[in-house]
Amino acid sequence: MTLPRALEPPGVATHCPYCALQCGMRVARTEGTDELDVRGDDSFPVNAGALCVKGWRAAATLAHPERITQPLVRDEHGTLAPASWDDALDLIARRVRETQERYGRDAVGVFGSGALTNEKGYLLGKLARVGLGTANIDYNGRFCMSSAATASNLAFGLDRGLPFPVEDIARTEAVLLVGANVAETMPPMMRYLDAMRAAGGALVVVDPRRTTTASSATLHLRLTPGSDAALANGILHVLVRDSMIDEAYVDARTEGFAKVKALVAGYWPERVERITGVPQAQIIEAARILGRARKSMVMTARGAEQQSQGVNNTLAFVNIALALGQVGRSDAGFGTITGQGNGQGGREHGQKADQLPGYRKIDDPEARRHVASVWGVDPEDLPRAGRSAFELLSTLGDDDGVRALFVMGSNVVVSAPNAIAIEERLARLDFLVVSDFFLSETAALADVVLPSAQWAEEDGTMTNLEGRVIRRRRAIDPPAGVRTDLEVICALASRLGRGHLFPSSEPETVFDELRRATAGGLADYSGITYARIDAERGVFWPCPGEGHPGTPRLFAERFATSNGRARFHAIPHRAPAEEPDTEYPLYLTTGRVLAQYQSGTQTRRVPELAAIAPDATAQLHPATARRLGIAHGDAVTVTTRRGSAQLKANVSPNIREDTVFVPFHWGGAQSANRLTNTALDPMSKMPEFKVCAARIDGGER
Amino acid sequence: MSTKERLVVVGNGMAGARLVEEIIARGGRDRFDIVMFGDEPYGNYNRILLSNVLAGAHDAKDIFLNPLEWYADNGVTLHAGARVHGIDRRARVVHAADDTILEGYDHLVVATGSNAFVPPLERAYVDEGVFRDGVFVFRSLDDTDAIIKYAENAKTAAVLGGGLLGLEAARGLVQRGLDVHVVHLMKHLMEVQLDRMAGLILRRSLEGMGLHIHLEKATCGVIGDPSVEGLLFADGTTLDCDMLVISAGIRPSTQLAIDAGLDVERGIVVGDDMRTSDENIYAVGECAQHRGRTYGLVAPLWDQVKVLADRLTSKKPNAVYEGSQVSTKLKVAGVDLAVMGSRDGDGDDEEVTYSEPSRGVYKKLIVRDGKLAGAILLGDASAAPDLLQAFDRGRALPENRSELLFALSQDGGVGGASLADMPDDAQICNCNGVTKGRVVAAVRGGCRTLKVLCDTTRAGTGCGACKKDVQTLLELTAGDAVAEDPSIHYYVPGVPLTKPDLVRAIRERGLHSVSSVFGALAGGVEDATSKPGLASLLKTIWGKEYDDERDARFINDRVHANIQKDGTFSVIPRIYGGVTSPAQLRRIADVAEKHHAKMVKITGGQRIDLLGIPKDRLPQVWRDLGMPSGHAYAKSFRTCKTCVGTEFCRYGVGDSTRLGIEIEQRFQGLESPHKMKLATAGCPRNCSEATTKDVGAVAIEGGRWEIYVGGAAGASVRKGDILCVVDSHEEVLKYMGRFMQLYREQAKYLERTYGFVVRVGIEKLKRVLVDDEEGICARLDADVQAAVDAYVDPWREADWPATPTQFSNALDPTDGAPLIPLRRASGAR
Repeated sequence: MTLPRALEPPGVATHCPYCALQCGMRVARTEGTDELDVRGDDSFPVNAGALCVKGWRAAATLAHPERITQPLVRDEHGTLAPASWDDALDLIARRVRETQERYGRDAVGVFGSGALTNEKGYLLGKLARVGLGTANIDYNGRFCMSSAATASNLAFGLDRGLPFPVEDIARTEAVLLVGANVAETMPPMMRYLDAMRAAGGALVVVDPRRTTTASSATLHLRLTPGSDAALANGILHVLVRDSMIDEAYVDARTEGFAKVKALVAGYWPERVERITGVPQAQIIEAARILGRARKSMVMTARGAEQQSQGVNNTLAFVNIALALGQVGRSDAGFGTITGQGNGQGGREHGQKADQLPGYRKIDDPEARRHVASVWGVDPEDLPRAGRSAFELLSTLGDDDGVRALFVMGSNVVVSAPNAIAIEERLARLDFLVVSDFFLSETAALADVVLPSAQWAEEDGTMTNLEGRVIRRRRAIDPPAGVRTDLEVICALASRLGRGHLFPSSEPETVFDELRRATAGGLADYSGITYARIDAERGVFWPCPGEGHPGTPRLFAERFATSNGRARFHAIPHRAPAEEPDTEYPLYLTTGRVLAQYQSGTQTRRVPELAAIAPDATAQLHPATARRLGIAHGDAVTVTTRRGSAQLKANVSPNIREDTVFVPFHWGGAQSANRLTNTALDPMSKMPEFKVCAARIDGGER
Repeated sequence: MSTKERLVVVGNGMAGARLVEEIIARGGRDRFDIVMFGDEPYGNYNRILLSNVLAGAHDAKDIFLNPLEWYADNGVTLHAGARVHGIDRRARVVHAADDTILEGYDHLVVATGSNAFVPPLERAYVDEGVFRDGVFVFRSLDDTDAIIKYAENAKTAAVLGGGLLGLEAARGLVQRGLDVHVVHLMKHLMEVQLDRMAGLILRRSLEGMGLHIHLEKATCGVIGDPSVEGLLFADGTTLDCDMLVISAGIRPSTQLAIDAGLDVERGIVVGDDMRTSDENIYAVGECAQHRGRTYGLVAPLWDQVKVLADRLTSKKPNAVYEGSQVSTKLKVAGVDLAVMGSRDGDGDDEEVTYSEPSRGVYKKLIVRDGKLAGAILLGDASAAPDLLQAFDRGRALPENRSELLFALSQDGGVGGASLADMPDDAQICNCNGVTKGRVVAAVRGGCRTLKVLCDTTRAGTGCGACKKDVQTLLELTAGDAVAEDPSIHYYVPGVPLTKPDLVRAIRERGLHSVSSVFGALAGGVEDATSKPGLASLLKTIWGKEYDDERDARFINDRVHANIQKDGTFSVIPRIYGGVTSPAQLRRIADVAEKHHAKMVKITGGQRIDLLGIPKDRLPQVWRDLGMPSGHAYAKSFRTCKTCVGTEFCRYGVGDSTRLGIEIEQRFQGLESPHKMKLATAGCPRNCSEATTKDVGAVAIEGGRWEIYVGGAAGASVRKGDILCVVDSHEEVLKYMGRFMQLYREQAKYLERTYGFVVRVGIEKLKRVLVDDEEGICARLDADVQAAVDAYVDPWREADWPATPTQFSNALDPTDGAPLIPLRRASGAR
């Protein structure tokens, strides 16, 4: 194959297909060959040329032998057989109509993804609301950012993962990093933390495991899983005790501190030590580090958020940043570290069951009027709020649940909690369509599989963890027979008789419509254009006009709450939904490893990555292993009240004795989510991925 | 009339208030009207923290758990400061405050806590229930407050009681500067929790902190009148002291229950359901006696109130309390002590002890059926958190008990060994899984620069933490063959040339526009991020001949104004040297009023800033001002700040005002890799801060000027380096121009002078610019002159917009659309 001229070095500037850091990379022809290569883009300020092993190998999924290159339709023998696009799309349209005639409009559901571009997420949301007319759309970001989002909205009135550019991290003086293992999950981010350290700053990491990130920290608080809020309250107790509260800030810019102060008076260090297992001296030390820094940051991630107390845990840490007067100050503040590539943009443009584009609430009449006018429909015709991700999945196939489901860019069989039950639910569907570029575990269960274009094969925008809107650029054409998701959405809408509402599948045209739809919303993109993104290395939302410079730093003068003040929330410690007992004596926690990503659909297919992290493992402490007669490398079975997983023992002192850690990148019998608890956070509907009770059996080599 | 049941709680302390919180958390407000009585006239505070308050470590106002508003907010009636003196069980009414308050109940909870135990002491009281001046118990906030006040005028204090609370009180008084004696009746301190050995070591540790410990001392009386002057012991000895704090234990407060006829032994007897002998009356907290035990620690109380709240609200109507495991820590700064469970094992228990008296360390574990039944950790409680959790949860212990006694170091990895000694399979880069062997092999295979080595092996390309190690390995392996990496010197990332090579190529090929540079030197690939840098360089090289394509510019450069966060612009006219006139000021004032500037501000560079001008009004504002652009938005020469100089100032030795005006008139708008801020100072007092400017001139005696370069006083602060000392204004202008031209040519885009000067080195700069080591000074002088000659005031675009919509608020077609070159539009030729 001859590669286009644009691929001559330095090649096409685009962004990594994986995490939310969205490292700039250049896709180019490897000199002297026709092979594609990727390099870090030195000129993109976020990563300045750095990439992790996943990014370096990103090209491996493009010309991969397992790519699906034509639609697959399940035939009368039950096998997925190649079909034409027309046949596949006709079939989908027919089944959608049949299902809706029989069970009602909401019987067709849509499940999106935080990996989709803004344009795709937007158009998918529009497809659900005005193409299919269903209330039931949600996305896998519910399993990722929903607790952080809810907490940010409650505390600040606005949800943008980081309210500052990552470069500010290098200039702050202390960072409290909660439940984030950035050294493995977004390695180039460590450069900013290291620069902060090199300039004399301190890093405090809160994690039940001594992760790579934790071992590089000034101080590692090795808390008991599920005790996050108690720890936050304990730190705040010491800050109050030692008079390190910024009273002037608290008075001028916040509300609700009195209640929090009274609450944390009951979290003295000895008590918190007993709840969290963190030595009181370390609790005090953490408070001193934060309290003495003139500027500091508190950042949370999934460790604290993926719990049935996820929103509360996050709010408890927000309290610290507010009490120290840091939010809205330069080189300081509170942030959450977004996970998925477009986890930020994915939650702003209508993929969520209760939202419309621009972070508008679907039950707000004004929001409905505005979006309906952009879409050219009657506001009354827009569906109301539908079911959130797990609620949607756990009612699949029920008479009043979703009976036909369209999944785009998500592998729910691996990524949803209590995976065995999810798999059974999918089997109860009348009809399942999956759009993906590989035959993922979920796609393998589908009635129709649609092959979609990948990152380097499509144009669009992504919004990274900083709220910086950036360009994903097409470097090569998709393989013959593969269409972009935008093309698929438009084609489907057209077959459903709604083609006039979906006039274009061109990313820039869709983006221009998105801009109008978001105008005036919280996440206002109306001033962002492709040209500006090119010229300014990305534009930060909100950007309400083309003359507006964008907003790299939020909250300098006021918060987005009704009275402009940030809100404290008094959060008592509450135990997780399930705690160890005699039958299941260990805590189970889950997470990611460096060389794999999310459900592993991409990374498990990259040989170099599979070689680094070939097996699903169970990390446990040597003392625990010895007691159970387990040696490093043994095959073990981890069991919870939901199910069992077959894993390989990884005996390591870097974990608490009472805890076992299982990464969640594998499917089938190795799936961590066969074990996890479906208890939901009452506000965010986030499942409790990060803590439940488990038992280990085994010890067979 | 409410149909709710009436719940009355007597006691507003750690148990009573907590109970009400738990009931409310369980939705109990729908079921109960809640009435509370508290002895003290406050809300509920955290009694645990009183020793912190005494030590001055915690402000008393910060220990409140339930301030008075809390009760009102939650619909709870609180009688604060009202003592309950009777329970009429038949009528189900409590009597309080001398019968001025009567409250009927359906359910009554007694949570009266405990009182300080005061042993019989002669002359301790001056009247019934009234202590002699200087005698205190340590139980409440008022007690604490009184102790603190009295301590201000005391030198020596005695604390009666060597238990947990007594020692905390003693330590608190030491912290307040008193000489403190602890008097204890028993053979060792904290005998309830500690064995003899631990008590002994604790004594030594406390003595080391300045406490005086007197053991086996029976105190029989107080000496002194009217106030305390000392203690008298049973053995006839005495101890002088100015105050006495009695902390000899607590007794459950049961009088109310006794008077009401409830079953009372040591405490009010309750069953597993927390019910007393009256089925409508419950007791929780320190006043209650459960299965023969009373508790004086907070955790058991909170276990009890949870059970009672579950029952009262019917959340768990069958909840039972089965007793608590007790553990505690001594809150004495400098002494690490944690105790839990049994103090001593019985015959079948395994006792594990470790003792190191010289360091004050003692550890003891009681293991029963493979589980922890008790522990003492003194001097090093680092293992306490894990042990406490093992104890609380009854977790099975590891067979290797030493793992329990010491929080083992968890450091793994390669930290210790030196790189040279490490085996080849040792991992250097965790992010990319690169071993030492691979890095070394790549160096041997020809990678001689850090960047090439990193790109080849991928080591150091993730988090970057291992780059130091990779560099060391490169040096170790390649020795002198280490080369420098070319690409870090590229001027912009999109064109693979260093700045001098790029400048040469641009000149040789006559490339006048950004797109032509991409076409000729970057394979036609336009890199958006490289455009502004190239635009700046081309302007530097070609001056008037530069073919200005506006999409290469940032918005600020497109409209010649500084965009503000609200989308409006700021307009700063040029005021040479910061010297203005009444007429000019009047004109600026008129313009500001006419165009409704939202703010008029004197800038840090001695200019006047009109803020809040909408984009479409910019041309009219400029026209009305009739002044040239101050270039406050551009990567260019900005301003030259001046001091008053010789004309008016009594100290000035050089005419800095005049010189500043000359500098600014000459170099205004000069394009550069980053902004340049200048200043001139008329004497070394440096009022205009010239030594921390990009370029500055400071007058010294003898009519001479020091020229400073590379100063900074922004995000970075740096004092500039002296480039040279010259005799005249003309020479100042010459050397400044020469430096600025070199900076324009050789600095990387967005590199400020302070970075440039450090990178090149001041000695090198002196050799090039003063000694003319490279023979380029004449060319530099000529080139900067050409640039000066090419200057055109961009605000003249007010009358000749570069594009029809340059200043319109609608979509700007110059964002990527065809362009009209600046030189034609401005009419400069």
